[in-house]
Amino acid sequence: MMGGLLAIFGREARLAWAGGGGPAGPAAFFLAAITLAPLAIGPDPDLLSSAGPGLMGFAALLSVLQSAERLYGDDFVDGTLDLYALLPVGLPLLSLAKTLGQGIATLWPLPFIALLGGLMYGVPLASSLMLAAALAAAIPALVLLAGFAGALAAGVRRSGLLIALIATPLMVPVLIFAAGAGRAGFEGDERALANLGLTAAISLGTIALAPFGIAGAIRSRLG
Amino acid sequence: MLDRPTDFPAMTPFPAVSLSVHGLALSRGGLRLVEAISFALKPGEALLLTGANGTGKTTLMRALAGLVRPDTGQIACEEPVEDAIAWLGHSDGLKPGESLRAALRFWADIHGTSRKTILPLMRRMDIEPLIDRPAGQLSRGQQRRAGLVRMALANRPLWLLDEPAGPLDGAGRERLAQLVAWHRARGGIVLAATHQALDWPDVQHLALKAAS
Repeated sequence: MMGGLLAIFGREARLAWAGGGGPAGPAAFFLAAITLAPLAIGPDPDLLSSAGPGLMGFAALLSVLQSAERLYGDDFVDGTLDLYALLPVGLPLLSLAKTLGQGIATLWPLPFIALLGGLMYGVPLASSLMLAAALAAAIPALVLLAGFAGALAAGVRRSGLLIALIATPLMVPVLIFAAGAGRAGFEGDERALANLGLTAAISLGTIALAPFGIAGAIRSRLG
Repeated sequence: MLDRPTDFPAMTPFPAVSLSVHGLALSRGGLRLVEAISFALKPGEALLLTGANGTGKTTLMRALAGLVRPDTGQIACEEPVEDAIAWLGHSDGLKPGESLRAALRFWADIHGTSRKTILPLMRRMDIEPLIDRPAGQLSRGQQRRAGLVRMALANRPLWLLDEPAGPLDGAGRERLAQLVAWHRARGGIVLAATHQALDWPDVQHLALKAAS
C-alpha cells in the first residue's frame, strides 16, 4: 500500500521531470513575470520593495496554473487514468501521491526564485526568507487545487481556460496568506508568522480534502 | 518460428473467479446502448464481443471494469471486480517519453509481480529488443504488444481487452492468441471486444445489436 503510493509518487515525479521541460516551464514563467513587473511599475525603490511580496505570490499562482493542464489531461488521453482507477490503492490516495509527485517535481524552484526575487526588489533578507517559506508552504495547496480543476477538465478541449476559471477563486485564501506573510515580514509586523502558519494550515487542509474531490472528478470524467 | 507456450514465465497463481452478468442495461450520454445482456464465464473461458460501431462494446467493458455505472442489472464476481480486472483499453496506457523498461517495472511493482517476469513476457510478444526505447518511438503495433505485456504483468484473473488485435500484424495476432491461451490455461477469463475474426479455440460469442 505505502510502497504502491511511493511508486506512484516516484513515477509521476520522474515523468514530470523528464517530459515537457519539467521544472523549467513554471520557473521560466515565474522568472519572466517578476522580471517584467518592475518595467511596468517603474523604478521607485520604495514602491518596488513594498509591492514585491504580493507580486511574487501572484506570479507564483499564475505559474502553477500555467502547468496545471498537464496534471490530468495527458493521463486521460493516453489511458493511464483508466489503469490508475483500477489499482487497489484507491483513487483518493493515488491522486494525492500523483499530484504532489508531479507538483513537487515541477514547482520546487519557485521558493528559491522568490527568495532571489525578493532581494532583487529590495526586500530585506529576513522578509525574503519569510516569503520563500510561505511560498513553499503554499505549493501543496496550490498544486492540489490546480489538480482538482485539472481533473474536472481532463479531456476537455482548451481545458486551460476551464482550469483557470475553477482554480483561481479556490486559490484566493492561500494567496492572501502567503503574500501576507511576506508583506507583514517586510513591514516588521509580528503577524508574519501567523500568516505563514495559516498558509501551512490551508495546505494541510487541502491535502486532507482535495484528494476526495479529485477522485470524484476523475470518476465522473471516466464514466 | 515461435517458441512453445511453455516459455511463459512462472507467475504467482491468482484466485480463480467466475463472472456472471445478468440483465445488464447501459446508457451513454442519455442514450440506451445495451439492453438485457446476460452471460456467465467460468475459469478458463473466453468470450468475444462483436457488433457494429456504436453498439456499446466499449461501454459494456467499461461497465464491467466499474468505470461506468449500469442502469440496471447485476455484475457478479467472487472478488471485487475492480481487483480482479486487468484492462487493455483503446489506448495502451503508455507514456510517450517513458522507456518500456521504466513503465513495465512500475506496473510490475505496483501489482506486486516479480520484475523477473518482464523480459520473458516481452520475449513472448517479440518486443524484447525495444526495452530501452521510449514508447513514443514505437509503432502502434509495438505499443499494443507492450500494452499486452503491461496487462499480463497485473497478474489478475479477468482480462478485458478492447480491440486487442486492432493494430497487430499477423504474427502479432498469433502471439496474442498464445498469450490468451496461456492465461486461460492458468484459469483466467478473457473477454475481448473485436471487429476482427480472432480464431481462438473454444470461444463463446456475443453479438451486440443496436438497442431500439
